[in-house]
Amino acid sequence: MSPNRLLAILLGVVAALVLVIGGFSVVLLLSGRGGDEGSPSGVTTGTGAGGSKSGAGAVLRLPGADPITLDPALAGDSTSAEYIVELFSGLVTIDQKLSLQLDLAESYEVSADGLTFTFKLRDNAVFQSGRRVTASDVQWSIDRAASPVPVGATQPSTTALAYLGDIDGVRERFFGQAPSVRGLQVVDERTIRIRLKEALPPPLFLAKLSYPTAFVVDRQQLESNPRNWTRKPNGTGPYQLKEWRLGERIVLQANQRFYRGAPPLPQVLYDLQGGSALTRFENNELDVAAIGLADIERARDPSNVLSKLYQQAPQFTIFYIAFNTKVPPFDDVNVRRALAQAIDRKKVATVTFNNMWLPATGVLPPQLPGFTAEDKSLPFDPAAARASLKASKYGSADKLPPIILTEVGGGAEAGIDTQAFLEQWKTELGLRVEIRQTDFATFLADQDSGRLQMFNAGWIMDYPDAEDVIDLKFHSASSLNDLGYSNAQVDKLLDAARVNKDPVQRVQQYQQAERLIIADVAWIPLYFAQSHVVVNKDVQGWFVPPMVIPRLRFVRLNR
Amino acid sequence: MTATAAAGPLDQPVPARGQSQGALLWSRLRRKRAAMASLVVIAAIYMMGIFAPVLAPYSYSQQDLDRQWEGPTADHWLGTDTLGRDMLSRAMYSARTTVIVTLAVVLSGSLILGNALGLLAGYRGGRIDSVVMRAGDVFAGLPDIMLLILINAAFGERVSSLTRWVDTHTFVSGLTATGAASYITVFGALTLFSWVGTARLIRSQVLQLRERDFVLAARAIGATPRRVISRHLLPNVSNLIILSVSGGLGAIAGSEIVLTWFGVGVQPPAASFGAMIFEAGSVRMFQTHPHLLMVPAAFVTALLFSFALLGDGLNDAVRGR
Amino acid sequence: MASYIARRLAWLPLHLLLVTFFTFSIARFGPGDPVSVAAGQFRDPQVLERVRAERGLDGSLVEQYVRWVNRAVRGDFGQSFLQQGYSVGELIRGKILVSAQLGFISLLIVFGLGIPLGLLAARASGSWIDPLVISVLLFMQALPVLVVIPPLLWLFALRLDILPTGGWDGLVDIYWIRGVVAVPIPDPHLYLPLFVLSLPGFASIARLVRVTALEVLREDYVRTARAKGLSEYTVALKHVLPNSLLPIVTVIGFALTGILGGAFFTETLLGIPGIGRFTFEAVRSRDYDVILALTVIVSAAFVLVNLVAEIAYAFIDPRVRLGAESTT
Repeated sequence: MSPNRLLAILLGVVAALVLVIGGFSVVLLLSGRGGDEGSPSGVTTGTGAGGSKSGAGAVLRLPGADPITLDPALAGDSTSAEYIVELFSGLVTIDQKLSLQLDLAESYEVSADGLTFTFKLRDNAVFQSGRRVTASDVQWSIDRAASPVPVGATQPSTTALAYLGDIDGVRERFFGQAPSVRGLQVVDERTIRIRLKEALPPPLFLAKLSYPTAFVVDRQQLESNPRNWTRKPNGTGPYQLKEWRLGERIVLQANQRFYRGAPPLPQVLYDLQGGSALTRFENNELDVAAIGLADIERARDPSNVLSKLYQQAPQFTIFYIAFNTKVPPFDDVNVRRALAQAIDRKKVATVTFNNMWLPATGVLPPQLPGFTAEDKSLPFDPAAARASLKASKYGSADKLPPIILTEVGGGAEAGIDTQAFLEQWKTELGLRVEIRQTDFATFLADQDSGRLQMFNAGWIMDYPDAEDVIDLKFHSASSLNDLGYSNAQVDKLLDAARVNKDPVQRVQQYQQAERLIIADVAWIPLYFAQSHVVVNKDVQGWFVPPMVIPRLRFVRLNR
Repeated sequence: MTATAAAGPLDQPVPARGQSQGALLWSRLRRKRAAMASLVVIAAIYMMGIFAPVLAPYSYSQQDLDRQWEGPTADHWLGTDTLGRDMLSRAMYSARTTVIVTLAVVLSGSLILGNALGLLAGYRGGRIDSVVMRAGDVFAGLPDIMLLILINAAFGERVSSLTRWVDTHTFVSGLTATGAASYITVFGALTLFSWVGTARLIRSQVLQLRERDFVLAARAIGATPRRVISRHLLPNVSNLIILSVSGGLGAIAGSEIVLTWFGVGVQPPAASFGAMIFEAGSVRMFQTHPHLLMVPAAFVTALLFSFALLGDGLNDAVRGR
Repeated sequence: MASYIARRLAWLPLHLLLVTFFTFSIARFGPGDPVSVAAGQFRDPQVLERVRAERGLDGSLVEQYVRWVNRAVRGDFGQSFLQQGYSVGELIRGKILVSAQLGFISLLIVFGLGIPLGLLAARASGSWIDPLVISVLLFMQALPVLVVIPPLLWLFALRLDILPTGGWDGLVDIYWIRGVVAVPIPDPHLYLPLFVLSLPGFASIARLVRVTALEVLREDYVRTARAKGLSEYTVALKHVLPNSLLPIVTVIGFALTGILGGAFFTETLLGIPGIGRFTFEAVRSRDYDVILALTVIVSAAFVLVNLVAEIAYAFIDPRVRLGAESTT
């Protein structure tokens, strides 16, 4: 007998084994799915997906990501905020035109000294459960957010001091020196009074109150279910959370009890699975998708179907290169200026990035009060750059100490533009700058410790006020000041602007500070971000705001 | 990321006499056409890398922002990338990175450790054996990618300040830009996990050999352990060592892509296949500008496939076929 | 044998302590911490200090580690910074389930197709097909996932438009015939990830089986058995099969541990909410509790699977005695 016969027998045996084990596993897997705790069985999931693909129905399908938290007091990232502003609400909000609007409050008054704000709540404001929202709910929620460890959370809020810190007593409460926030006072069931430490311009304080940190949560729910309440939060917002499967989907359902009228769109499905959203959009799996660099040309080409669905909108986000003005060689303003003048940001924005982003004209982005279209930044000018370098105390490129530019690298984040700048510094100034890419955690730690010489980063604004970028990033006393930039004149302007009640004058002060900052080259402002999306034609009323604001209730579906 | 384990026992043990092991292996390998062809491909890619500064039509970083994403043209044979850099030159310099990376790893000794520990454990047996093998269990059980990133974060900066020092104080230059620091750190760390497989393989081979007549005889006539190992054991496991090293080289070249993905590898603007694939590696990019992926993919696949074919050929040769 | 197993299991807790302390020290040694990552733009040093204190990240490394062990032995693996409001156990369970389902099916494919193909290739040994088959298999093994996925996605999802572009929707989909008859079919989201996951494994198993089968057929005891005139079935089942299976048992063991680690690239590029992607996210943001929990799971699984593989060895190959010269 031959070895081949032996092998043939073996083959037969193995094939039989495979069939038996395979069949057994299939049965096992099928039955296993049914018992999956808490989630619908595989069968219903399947039909659900099939249904959404063919009929699509009145469900808006959006790309999304898992929020870090749905607790308004804890959220500090835009992903979480995107859901929170639909699920919860606060005294005031910001509308599509970026103007302040009353939300849970129906009116407010400011005392003559500008220190006390008195809000009157709407009569019909209720939680999604139906319970009425009272002044003590507002008081409890803000006090909770400022408390050392909020009820229903495991750690203090990182946003409380930034957004509520102007309220009298919030600092003391946060650091455990007071049992409650003394600046909050319940006048009657529908009236709450908030006292500030110093008289801020009302629009600035109200803008801060429109951020999730000051949103209202349901005390009864939090106290009865402190561990798991964010999985089915009882908010006051236009939508309520119907389903959240980690990494798979979030389903929001219209809140029929919403005090400004039930939203027209009954259901919104966020697909959390990642991957290429545009590909899914073209497969009719999503109604909205972001456009990336690879597709921007196609989307703008009038002969392409995508161009009819394409929208672009500016964002309150600025990308920049920051210098550590305390370490050599960047303690010399001429070196900073030379580096800024030697790079052609406009070309990179228009050609390399295909006009996806706008070349920054200064520090204040478009749509923000104080923005002007004229270019205040240092223009690309190789000759001037070389002159600046010559005027520096080093005199020439080869006398400079080694320069390292740090940025977050890997995992789809590394910047192609930094490589373009590197080459320009080399050709225009004869300067070798080294890139050091680190992971995100290392980057933040190094940045906070002031170890970095220069770095590439971005800043996302949270409310439409120049204070949110200029004061926070450039005031020498700000805890968010990147690398210890300080200029007494800038500080003075910022201090004055912060409490200035004359809006026109206030904006002028910020613009003045902006010019000083640019002259000091504390940053090289690179680009203002723009958002690029395609939206299905049967979606009506979709808009891309420059910052996170509630928007789902303005959207309709025609199908 | 680990080398494929060679299966089955060795064909016949070779006592230390007559034609040398290496020559025998080479003569067997030379008869295998696939293995020789792959050796040529590997050599070609390595040569391309070593002589990249001479061969490349452009510098790896020279950019022309106005000529983004062009397909193959007369002056850019393989097209251009996002910054209008020449893809052919980038590919050549990427091969250079591969050369440096594989060298850095071999020099870091990570391919030797497993073999040494395997020999030691197998020959000495007893307590040493169980300590080595238990330690192996501990390290092999750790989630490697996770630890690689952490170790790189913890020690990467220290090592790169070292390479920076080498760059400025010795005749060597440009070491930092190749990311050699990351590779030394990362592969040094990878050794912690990867020595186990090789060590087990070598150990079991040594365990078998130890009981063979010629070793027993050598010991019986009072040969020193050193002599037994160098004269009788090493020649017989050297083939396995060659196998593990050649498999390791292919695996290292492959993991460069992976590590760059994690932001742990080459620092831009230095070219690497990993970075090129990374820049082009989305479906959308592939749809609009397929050459961005196809160019590095072709080189990488050719290289990895050649390493695999060579490994297979070596494996056969070692087993006397 | 029972005492051997008991000894190995007794070693497990010490093993886990060593492994987690090692991981924890390395994670803490480097720069960066989960608190500043989670705080994002709001990194007020005073506030972060408060957060660290509340989350048990103050004090020395050893203090923190002891605190963690104290909680962990009571089954509390803490809370993630990336997904607040969920315990680490809950988060990991869901992700591992997805990765494990995918990994398990792909293992079935790998062995179900790989073993028969390896035997077929062994039959063809010596003919002109042999080198061709080997080359093709080696090629499959050499293809990097990162290079394979974009073209596949482009072809099947964009060009032909027959498969979804990624995502996860359970294992089973219902196919309706005329809207009346429901036929359960494998979910279309599975095809691409299964293909990509199985390709290299399938090739390596086929090669392994081919080599081992050929080696075993040449062994003395097979020749002897055949010379004694035993029936082909007896030789095939009693001698060839068990001995060819030995190396495969080891491979299955390692493959099973591999499943728990997830498949990072496949999961990321194809949008599958599995453990591989999650691991990367956790490490990137230094989510200590998640990192440690993953270390515990992967290491424990490794030890247990190794033990099972050893026992399986002893059953298949009577020459192997447990404990003596067991690790091969």
